[in-house]
Amino acid sequence: MKLITKTILYFLAVSIPLVALCLFLGFHLVNKELEDATEEALWKEKLNAEKLIEGGAVDFILYLSTDSLSKVVETTTVTTGDVYKDSVIYDRFEEEDLPYRILESNMSANGKSYLIFIARTTLEHDDLMESLLKAFGLLLGFLLLTFFALNWILSKTLWKPFYKTLNELKKYDLHANTVVALESTSTKEFKQLNQSLNEMMEKIQSDFQQQKEFTENAAHEMQTPLAVIKANIGLLMQSPNLKQEEMEQLQSIDNTARKMSSLNKALILLAKIENNQFKENVKLSAKEIVSKVLQHYEDALSGKEISVENNITTDINFKLNPALADVLITNLVQNAIRHNFKGGKIRIETKVNSLIISNTGEPLNIKAEDLFVRFKKNYASKESLGLGLSIVKSIVDSFDHTIGYTYENNMHKFSVNFG
Amino acid sequence: MKILLIEDEPELRKSVKQYLYQEGFLVESANDYQSASEKVNEYEYDCILIDITLPKGSGLDIVKQLKQKNSKAGVIIISAKNSIDDKITGLDLGADDYLPKPFELAELNARIKALIRRRNFGGNTSIVVNEIIISTDERTVKVNNELVQLTTKEYDLLLFFISNKNRVVSKNSIAEHLLGDNSDQMDNHDFIYVHLRNLRKKLAEKGCEDYVQTIYGIGYNFKVS
Repeated sequence: MKLITKTILYFLAVSIPLVALCLFLGFHLVNKELEDATEEALWKEKLNAEKLIEGGAVDFILYLSTDSLSKVVETTTVTTGDVYKDSVIYDRFEEEDLPYRILESNMSANGKSYLIFIARTTLEHDDLMESLLKAFGLLLGFLLLTFFALNWILSKTLWKPFYKTLNELKKYDLHANTVVALESTSTKEFKQLNQSLNEMMEKIQSDFQQQKEFTENAAHEMQTPLAVIKANIGLLMQSPNLKQEEMEQLQSIDNTARKMSSLNKALILLAKIENNQFKENVKLSAKEIVSKVLQHYEDALSGKEISVENNITTDINFKLNPALADVLITNLVQNAIRHNFKGGKIRIETKVNSLIISNTGEPLNIKAEDLFVRFKKNYASKESLGLGLSIVKSIVDSFDHTIGYTYENNMHKFSVNFG
Repeated sequence: MKILLIEDEPELRKSVKQYLYQEGFLVESANDYQSASEKVNEYEYDCILIDITLPKGSGLDIVKQLKQKNSKAGVIIISAKNSIDDKITGLDLGADDYLPKPFELAELNARIKALIRRRNFGGNTSIVVNEIIISTDERTVKVNNELVQLTTKEYDLLLFFISNKNRVVSKNSIAEHLLGDNSDQMDNHDFIYVHLRNLRKKLAEKGCEDYVQTIYGIGYNFKVS
């Protein structure tokens, strides 16, 4: 929920009950005042009427007002006391029922009993009340409007640096190796926020850089000791008196050294891709690279009796570093060979902007989303370093392309979208 | 044939020296930039192996230095930094070849020999081993003066064997030689056997003796007395 929406909601949550309470109280207070005033007026008229009665001015009935509503009537009931009540009386002039406040009072004077009946319309009260409420409502509406406007303006101006920072942060990419420049503002809190964020990003960036450099340097440093191991194996192999068993041990050391060296190479490559060291971006033809790679894997393909369906009829062009394009397609083809059955099938095709490489093979025994994670590999594959597809993913990511995996009709299907 | 090995890692220096010595090369070595620089100034070599990262300097500067004095020596860069940039810079500066660490000694040996052959323009570029004659310029092979039709891989395999004759060469080094940088991407080396079988067959058809001995478990030895 947006900050401004939240502020307004909180405001409404507090102001609606408050306004209701104020309206309620205001209504009752004003109403009470008006009623008191009416009753006082009725009472004064009553006093007037009493004086008239005591003065002997009343003979059976006396109309006190022109509309004949207020009057003094002789009665037989002998009670004393005042009764106030509300009533509705039809008005002949206005031709409608009008609300009235009525005072009925009994009194005795000169040995007779009288009923004093005084009526006063409260129509003006209702009108007044209505006007008051209207004014009140208008004021509240105006207040609300002002509040919304103020909030909106505040969020546009006061919060502007905040939204600016937010936008910059959204663009932030650790791999891009660029520090986001957060502008300084005059608001203390935002200034502190930007400062803290800047420091944090610098720290993350430098840690990340160091970590990447460490991977690359460590891998580089290992190549020379590996060269020593391999050279010594090469020398030892020449020894004329080696038994078969010793030869096999040598072979095993050699294979291990070789595997470690491949691992190093893969790690260096990954570090370099992530360091954006492959900048050159050239328009390349998928068809050309695929046929080059397939030729390269001729031996492996025939060794495993894998048939290749090269269905690239319409070539697709994409932009990539040429060396990485080779690695990308090589790794995908290698993956398709490695995780294939003997006598299996590989199908290569293009679709709009995608290059699709599918192969037969055992279903995955790892989660599909782990396929591109470093060192996650099918348990059966002892030859695999578990880095081939991570390298593919890295390449694709760093050049803003995408790769997807599906398992359809017993075939593993990798499709690279160069769109 | 005189070779200068510029490498700061003593163990590697030792084994490379020993292997090349057994091949009949005269090998001198330098362990840092300064001594390397002095040596290339004072003496002439047929081939110079240069490590890029050296104490007190860069191997690439040695390459520059050789270029400046118009040295006739072939230059092979041996680097732990298998980066395309280094490779391109090295070759641009005048190096003839680039071999990333870790390398097979058999591969280094084959590269040195190929380089020396290329450098001797005036000389004979044919390699003669008994009844086999390889013309490296034309990439042709003759046995008993008859042309043998070999595929690229069979030819490369034979040349690699002959460059390392009377040596045990491992299947790993053959794979690396035939496939280049991507050899580690091949799951097994059965394909070597297929190429070797075809090579043997083609050579035998022209009456060539079978020189290739299988060293079980590890590789082969092209034995010529």
